Order: sequence, then C-alpha cells, then structure tokens
Amino acid sequence: MVPSSSNAGIFTNFSLGIFTLLLFSCGEEPTIQSYVIPSEYEGPVVTWKLPSDWGENPDLSGPMAGSFHVKSDLGPVGRIGIMPFRESVSTLDVANMFGKEMGYGLLSEDDLSELAQVRTIDSREFEWIRLVDKAEVGSMRTVLLALYRNEEETWLFPFIGDQPLINEQMKNFESFLSSTTLRAGKEKIRAKVPQPAPPASAQHAEGPTWDIPSHWQKAEASSMRLASYEVADKNGSRLDFSVTSFPGDVGGLLANVNRWLGQIGMEEVKENEIEKYVTEIIIDEQDAQLVVAEGEEQALYAAIIMIEGRSWFFKISGDLNLAQLEKPNFLSFLNTVCFH
Amino acid sequence: MEQKNKKRNTLGLRRKKYAWLVPLSSVKLTLVLLSLSMILVFVATLEQVRIGIRGALAEYFESMFGIWHYPEQFWGGEYLNAIPLPIPGGYLLGGLLIINLTAAYITRFQWTFKKMGIQLIHLGIIMLLVGQLATQAMQEESRMQINKGESSNYIERFHGVELAFSNVTDANQEKVVTIPEDILAKGGVIRTPKLPFKIKIKRFGVNCDFTVTPEDSKRSAISQDVNRGVGHTANLSITEKDEDFSSDGLNFGYLVFELLDGSKSLGTWLSLAHPGGNHWWKESPMLSDLAFQPIRHHGELWGVTLRSEREYLPYSIELIDIENEFYQGTEIPFNFESDIVLNMEENQSRRALVYMNTPLRHAGKTFYQYQMNAAADYTVFQVIRNPSWLVPYIACILVSIGLLWQFSFHLVRFLRKNSTKSQPA
Repeated sequence: MVPSSSNAGIFTNFSLGIFTLLLFSCGEEPTIQSYVIPSEYEGPVVTWKLPSDWGENPDLSGPMAGSFHVKSDLGPVGRIGIMPFRESVSTLDVANMFGKEMGYGLLSEDDLSELAQVRTIDSREFEWIRLVDKAEVGSMRTVLLALYRNEEETWLFPFIGDQPLINEQMKNFESFLSSTTLRAGKEKIRAKVPQPAPPASAQHAEGPTWDIPSHWQKAEASSMRLASYEVADKNGSRLDFSVTSFPGDVGGLLANVNRWLGQIGMEEVKENEIEKYVTEIIIDEQDAQLVVAEGEEQALYAAIIMIEGRSWFFKISGDLNLAQLEKPNFLSFLNTVCFH
Repeated sequence: MEQKNKKRNTLGLRRKKYAWLVPLSSVKLTLVLLSLSMILVFVATLEQVRIGIRGALAEYFESMFGIWHYPEQFWGGEYLNAIPLPIPGGYLLGGLLIINLTAAYITRFQWTFKKMGIQLIHLGIIMLLVGQLATQAMQEESRMQINKGESSNYIERFHGVELAFSNVTDANQEKVVTIPEDILAKGGVIRTPKLPFKIKIKRFGVNCDFTVTPEDSKRSAISQDVNRGVGHTANLSITEKDEDFSSDGLNFGYLVFELLDGSKSLGTWLSLAHPGGNHWWKESPMLSDLAFQPIRHHGELWGVTLRSEREYLPYSIELIDIENEFYQGTEIPFNFESDIVLNMEENQSRRALVYMNTPLRHAGKTFYQYQMNAAADYTVFQVIRNPSWLVPYIACILVSIGLLWQFSFHLVRFLRKNSTKSQPA
C-alpha cells in the first residue's frame, strides 16, 4: 500500500499546517477574568450608602467601623458613627455610657423604659434612645442612639449633635440605617479596620494588644508608661492618654480614684460615694472598672483591670470639652484591648 | 521491477514538488543541530548551579537563544567571562530539528512497506519533539494546600500573580475580578466594566524585600505614596529585588496601585503576594489584612489582594488524614501519604490515597504528593495540567514498533538467507 503522490501532497500540506499552527498558537492574550464563587470571606461585612449631604470623617478610630458628619456652610457638624460590639451588651450599659455625660446619672431599667422605643426600618428593629443634655441648662446637645442586634452582635449607631440638626437629618439618618449591610463574620467581630500598628511596647511578650484611634498622636513612652498618646484640637486643647501596669492593686480602687480626682482638681470621695464615678464594664471578657470624672474644666476617663495579679490602667485626661468629644473613641478603644 | 520504479518515481515527484525542503532535510544539518543541543545541555547544566533549574529552563530551553558567560572560576575565566556568548535555545533547536526531520520524511524517505520501520522511528521522534513543544506551551504547574478535615476547590500557580478584587457584600456568593500579571506589568490605567473603579498601576515587581518600619519613619520611595490599607498602617517599606529562580527561592510580588472613581482618587494601596499562598499572611497579625484589604465603595464591600494566580475547580478535595513515615533513626522520609475524598460534580465522590509516585488523576489534572506538615496538619499537592501528556507515550510506542519492525525485517531476511545457504547440495 503506497500513498499516491496526491495523497502525499495532502498529508504533507496537512503536517506543515499543523506545525505552523502549533508554532503560532502558543501565545495566549492575557485577559481580565470575572467569575462568581460561593462566599469564602469569613470576616464581618459593614457597608453603607451615605446621604449626599453627609461626609466621612478621616479620623476613623480603630473600633469604629465608620464615622461621618453632616456637611454645612459652617463646615462639618454633628457626628454619626457605626460601632460594633464583640459581645452582646445590654441596652442599659450603652445608655449609661452616654447618659452620664448628658447629666442623667446612673440610669435604671425603669428610666430606660421611658427613654427607649423600638423603631422598625426596612424590617430591621432598632432600639431607639434619645438623650438630651441635662448637664447644661439651655444646651441643645442631643445623643440619638440606634441599636441593632444581629445574632450575637450589637451594632450601635450614635448620632451626636444639636437637636434641630438631628431632627432635620432624621430622614437621612433612617435612609443611612436602611442602606447598611451588617453581617457578622464567622470569626468574632472586632470591627477592625486597618489601623496604625500598636506601639512596640504594647506588643511585649505577655502584654495586651489594642487598636489606637488613628488621630491620636504617639507621645514618648517612659519606663512607667507602656504607651503614651496625645490628642489635640485646633484650639490647642489637649488630652493625655497612657497605659500603665503595676504589680498588685496599687492601693485599691478608692485610692486610685481619689488620686485621679485630685489630678483634675476635684474633691476626694468616700468609699460609699465611689459609685458616682465608677461603673463595672467588661474588657476582653474580664471584669473591669470604668472611671468617669468630669470637673469644671478637666475630665478624666480611666479603665482598671486586674489580670494575673497585675493592675492595668488605661487613662485619658485633659480638657473637658475635648475629653467629652473623645469619650466614644476611648470607650471604643477599650473594646479592642485584648490580653490573649 | 515496474513497481520499484513507481516507488522511486514517487520519491522523485516529492523531491521535485518540494525542492525547497531538500536543503532542510540534510543529515549534516541534523548532526549540527544535535551537536548544538549537546552544547546547550552542557551550558544549561553549568548555569543551573548559578541560577537554579527554573532560571536555566527559562534562559536556555524556553527561549530562542540564551546569553552565556564563560564561568569566571574556569581556566582563563577572568578574561573570557566578560564576553557574552549567544547559545541557541531550546525552542530554536527543537523547532529546527522538527523542520529537519519533517523535511527528511518528505524528501528523503521511501514510503514503502519495507522502510516502514524507519518511518515509524522518525515519526516517533518528531512526535516527541512536538509533544515537548506543546508541553512547554500548555503545561501548568500549581499547588493545592488542604488542612486536615477541610476541603479545597482551587489551585494556585507556582509562578505568576494576579490582582483579585472580591465583592463580599452578598452573604451567599462573591463576585471575583482578577487582573493577570501580564496586564499589571504593562502599567498604566486599567479600566474594566467589571469593576466600579479604575486602577492606576504605580509600581509592580515580581520580588521584593519588605520591612515594617516605625510609625514615624519615612518609607522607601516605592511605597511612600501609599495612604490606605496595610502598607499605610504597618508603614511598610519596599525594596525591589530580582526574581529568584532557585528552587527554594521565595518571590514576594508587590503592587502599588491607586483606585480612581472617575477622576477622584480613592487612595493608594500596597499589596504583597506571599509565595506560599496568601493564607500565610494570617500568621502575622500586623500583615494579616494583606490577604484581604477592605475597600468600601458605593455601599459595597470589596476586598483586594495580590495573590498567586488562582484557578477554581468544578470539584473539591477533602483531606481526611495524613501520614508521613521516615527511615528509622533518620529524618529522611520514605513515604508521605494523604487520605482524601474527591467530591465531584453531581454529588459523586471517590476516596483515594495520594502518596509518592502515586498521584491522583482527575479531569485532566494530576495531583502529586508535594509537601506535608503533620504537625500543622496540612498537605500540599503539586497539580500538573498537561494536555499533551500522552504524546511521549505514543511517540515511544511508535519508536519501539519501528525498531521492532526494522530489526525483525532484517532478522527474517538474514534467517531466510541462512537457511537457503545451509541446505545440503
């Protein structure tokens, strides 16, 4: 069986063709691919759509998932935030965080039942708490708290501003709440957004870790201070923030509170009066105390926690007005402290 | 006699018709090409010590020509080292050998039953060469890492990175948009309707050194523009490095890019690709977000990462158990074994053992046992996709049949002659 010359021609041309194709088909043009896969992301999802007359605050602090303001002719006014909590917190705890500042004293469940209501926005139920300023006569300052509970997590949306502003922005606030996507991750939420690295001293072998609000400026640490930060505003007002740790209880709660009250020009208190300044809080799943002391010009907020026989102090103090502004950031910061 | 003349005439016709192929079919050319191939193998073997297997492959075999410098440590090296010597590369020699053999097949070989052995041998060799060319062009090497008790449905290339954006707003599914390395390397502004923003490539490199610098210190020029993401928060400083071709070389690809919404800048990010897979970033708390840097845009949450080029599979592999055994009293392994379940489409599954030299083959891919860490409970498979993997086997069979045919033909003729001679008069 011999191939005829015409068959041979076809075979030869076919072989050459295949060979040429092989040579020229090696290169593949790179392209942008797009595909859909089942969800792999295990972290929390927090998204929103901002009303057109709102802006984002650049000084977003670590535990705050979002921080916004209302644009006005006079510049940014009001402050709106998204603050997730790792563990479920009681509505009373949240109300008390802000209530003291607004001159409410320590709120009870009965007080809360008068202040709180449930509002449904797009099939989501929010606990709605409006706190007006009782500390200062004639003040229009109002705190509107919207709490949303999703599985084990609590999302707090505080709107701080003057009452007319809050009333005027109510539709925007509601549409903002309605636009949010809030989804807990498979890992417990820490509401973490990329933040400046904690100071080296904070990362020592057995020490805690934390996320510092991005606009707090690092100050010089000392042998006594494990971390030191400064907060300043345009008016030159300043706050000093420090983290210190000592063995033992360093004289006990009363001694520490009185020492701090003295530092901001306030009178000492007796044992039975200490609850005026101290409330119980949870830091990293451990019992801790929060000290809130506000004088005429100076304020001090501190948290004390005892871990394995050592006292840890997280303290911010300085100008009253600036301290009040930074209080949510300080409380959020405490939420990020982790000892394990 | 007439038949013989007809056969010669066929060869003559072919030589006449394809006269231009005659010079290309020269045996001298074959010998020159084979000699040059030996030089190529020798040079590449020497260079492998200096630049590693991958480097030698890329420089000398996967190219038309390579530049070789006489080794400095050899005799006269101090003078000769400076001279660049061009060495014909694997593609050039392989291509010319294919042409040479094909030309010989057409213009020199008699297509007769008697010579079929020779034809089959040469056809087999041509197939080997073409098959190797196809392998070079189409073979893909990837890895798949699986933790014990978990399953994986994607593989990642050993070489080559991609910039991946994932929209994770939907709780059930992610939309992924990937931009391959070749496009990133070109630079410029990347526009695609698949993304709600434009990407302006500022710096891209296949390898770098990176350092977490103190908060207040100045970053290197490459990353000084970065004002978003981990590059900013960890104050990462980047130093460019050449690609490390050695077998144990670790290449950390880097990309500095700006996102633009229209003409408005959303910020500049730095992304780093971990050579072992971006899940390794999670081992470093400060850099863990390099596996997913969040970007919130128009009410949606996107994550961005520079990662090894990834391919999702329509099936998954679940790691049930792993076992590694060592020669007694040594740390030399004699067996790595992964007990897996292959979960295929339509809820079908198959249990298999993957161990040294016994890979799993499925849907055109071969999964070889590659690495294992019993302490950390994970296994890594090397995954090879080679559509032309059968070609060398077919080629070898053809050559074997050809040789058998040729030798049998001569043996039978010899035996016939012998039996004729030995018959008594």
